Amino acid sequence: MDHLQNAFVRALHLLFSGDRDLWTIVGISFSVSMRAIVIATPFAMVIAFLMAMTTFPGKRTLVMIIHTLQAFPAVVVGLTVYMVLSRQGPLGTWHLLFTETAMIIGQVILCMPLMISMSHATFAGADKRAWETARTLGANLVRATLTFFYEFRFALLAAFIAGFARIIAEVGSSVMVGGNIYNYTRNIPTAIALETSKGEFSQGVALGLILLLLAFGLNVFLHLMQREQTRPV
Amino acid sequence: MSTRDDIEFSGVSKTINTRHLFQHLQLNLNPGECVVLSGDNGEGKTTLLRIMSGLLHPDDGRCQYNGTQHTWQRARSWLLKNVVYLHQAPYLFDASVEANITYGLRRHGMYRKAARAMATDALQRAGLAHLQQRSGKQLSGGERQRVALLRAWVLSPRLLLLDEPVASMDERARHTTLFLVRWLLQDGVSLVITAHEPRLFAPLADRHIRLQHGELNAAPPLTPVPSSYTEQMIPTPEGYHDGQRFQ
Repeated sequence: MDHLQNAFVRALHLLFSGDRDLWTIVGISFSVSMRAIVIATPFAMVIAFLMAMTTFPGKRTLVMIIHTLQAFPAVVVGLTVYMVLSRQGPLGTWHLLFTETAMIIGQVILCMPLMISMSHATFAGADKRAWETARTLGANLVRATLTFFYEFRFALLAAFIAGFARIIAEVGSSVMVGGNIYNYTRNIPTAIALETSKGEFSQGVALGLILLLLAFGLNVFLHLMQREQTRPV
Repeated sequence: MSTRDDIEFSGVSKTINTRHLFQHLQLNLNPGECVVLSGDNGEGKTTLLRIMSGLLHPDDGRCQYNGTQHTWQRARSWLLKNVVYLHQAPYLFDASVEANITYGLRRHGMYRKAARAMATDALQRAGLAHLQQRSGKQLSGGERQRVALLRAWVLSPRLLLLDEPVASMDERARHTTLFLVRWLLQDGVSLVITAHEPRLFAPLADRHIRLQHGELNAAPPLTPVPSSYTEQMIPTPEGYHDGQRFQ
């Protein structure tokens, strides 16, 4: 019990003493995951929108494949990206392995199926009159699409947050394609795994607390936004 | 601004799930004409309106406007800019009533400030100024219908398609809605109104047609429904004169 208590106290000390190593890890984590989610979001939304609003041969199969990909293990994504980016792989000459870019590629692949599935469910169940009204009032295709997104922004925000939560805490892909390099590609989950394996729990606990605080913050944000929706304009 | 001449739809055919809804339909609309379209459920009234608005592709069809006949592919963008379709339960965006009304104006190239001024003016004249800052999502069915009509009216469309505009409204709300519809007619907007109870539109209708078994046929003239609300009881918006457009 003392062991846990000591780890927790030391973790709090690390958090509030402005430990440089710890905050570098946090910075890398957020920088990589934010860039990944910003890249993935427009693609995921547009793919989900087209899947919901159009009919084409093989649509059901595509939906099933994307649903299945939600369960794609992070470590398998890491393995796949590793093979593509490694020296013998098709993109080996780009020298991206063990860089933040490689981590971003892995995280984009990881969060896309989840974001597409959630957004697709939103669009499929959305009131299509919103789209038709925008079009009949003179909006062009792009503007009508943006209006449609705006009308269902809170459900889409939930997809965004779920996608971010999926990648900020993943370890499998980041450790394989990022290499867990100190001050370069070491992010929160890979650092927790490393420190735990070394028996240094305090930094792991501190980083874990940050992840928990992040999850709490995102939920509060979503809750506040949804409450805003019900208020009169 | 294009001239106000006839709009003619011809050779319009549509099949949905192997069912031929209609084939080679023809419909001519004069400026400022009000056509009431009746028909049983499932005959394709709504589908026809959605085709005429450019929202739905027909299997075949042509459209004549500005004196020239166009293929559907070419006519579609014109229809989307000049025809407004109102759903049976109109959709208002998740924004204020004012923002709902300025939406179409902005899409037609009007500056934000001018669009706002026009929306304010329109709401005042329609007696709906008290709704200006209310959320579109929080209005009653009748209020939504009137705001949606106003939203269409400020665009001064060539053709307005109303799908059951007074369905499930009480008599007073119905009369106020019909009054706004009359404004549109006075501005030279052509109207097609679908109705299960076409007699409700007798005071406005120039023509009554019926969609039955995939064909459009002239129907007997409509006789008004006895009403406790006379037209004098409908509130007249302050400062509005026949045919006057907003400045």
